[in-house]
Amino acid sequence: MRVEYINPFVEASFNVLREVLQSDVKRGELYLKSTSMPVMGVAAIVGLAGDVEGRVLFDMDKPTALKVASAMNGEELPTMDDLVKATITELANMITAQAVTKLHELGFRFDLTPPAIFTGDNMEVTDQDVEALIVPMEVPQGRIEINVAIRERS
Amino acid sequence: MKTKDDFPSLNERPAEGVGPDGVPFRVLIVDDSMFIGKQISQILSSEGFEIAGICADGAAGMERYKELFPNVDIVTMDITMPKMDGITALRKIIEFDKNAKVVMISALGKQDLVKQALVTGAKSYIVKPLDRKKVLERIVAVLNK
Ligand SMILES: [Mg+2]
Repeated sequence: MRVEYINPFVEASFNVLREVLQSDVKRGELYLKSTSMPVMGVAAIVGLAGDVEGRVLFDMDKPTALKVASAMNGEELPTMDDLVKATITELANMITAQAVTKLHELGFRFDLTPPAIFTGDNMEVTDQDVEALIVPMEVPQGRIEINVAIRERS
Repeated sequence: MKTKDDFPSLNERPAEGVGPDGVPFRVLIVDDSMFIGKQISQILSSEGFEIAGICADGAAGMERYKELFPNVDIVTMDITMPKMDGITALRKIIEFDKNAKVVMISALGKQDLVKQALVTGAKSYIVKPLDRKKVLERIVAVLNK
């Protein structure tokens, strides 16, 4: 996977997280994962289709999701309810929108599918023939991994 | 009992959501994200606006506008929504009430859709992530136009 695809997501995640959480964001070391991988418990996924295809997964554990949603709503949200899911989905939306704007400026043409959110234990994602680059982001609420798998359409 | 007069300096700034006649402005919020709907509603209620309704898709938003009319002052309209998108709902609202004040709520990177909405008759737009200042500025500006 070309690194041009990942940078806009790193930048957008950094900017949007800092803005909506009003706090410091630290970027961890990028790493590569291939084929199937477990996800942490709450995953928002956005699909891309066009010149490039693939998906971006925003992955975090449940306590982190609850804390992030609580911070974004300015109130304590103790359970994984519809508001928490809508909040995490919107976070994924905002980050993806910013990253894709950048990618469009760089000349890539593709559309997004609306984000879908998955919650549960022991979830696993399998990507066929495409490796995923993962950017961990540390926020005061925990760790959010931005997991990007994109390839050019053959 | 304490009255407003006991806090002379506290309420000097008039709430943004209340008109010159002391009557709150009535807002219809149309957004399929429960998070965004709640966020807009909290920002506006805290400034004294009255939330006349929150609808989760364009079709419901347009119907609600017609039901509320003329007791609605401004609409916040998401663009990407199921059933009926925000631009179609905007067009139908303008067809029904050519003076409708509609402010679009947009994700970044939707300039073409925002332009289309402004041409169709939207009065302004706000790009997400939303913050209090940005939302109030735009809504108040449109109400004062
Ligand atoms: Mg929407």
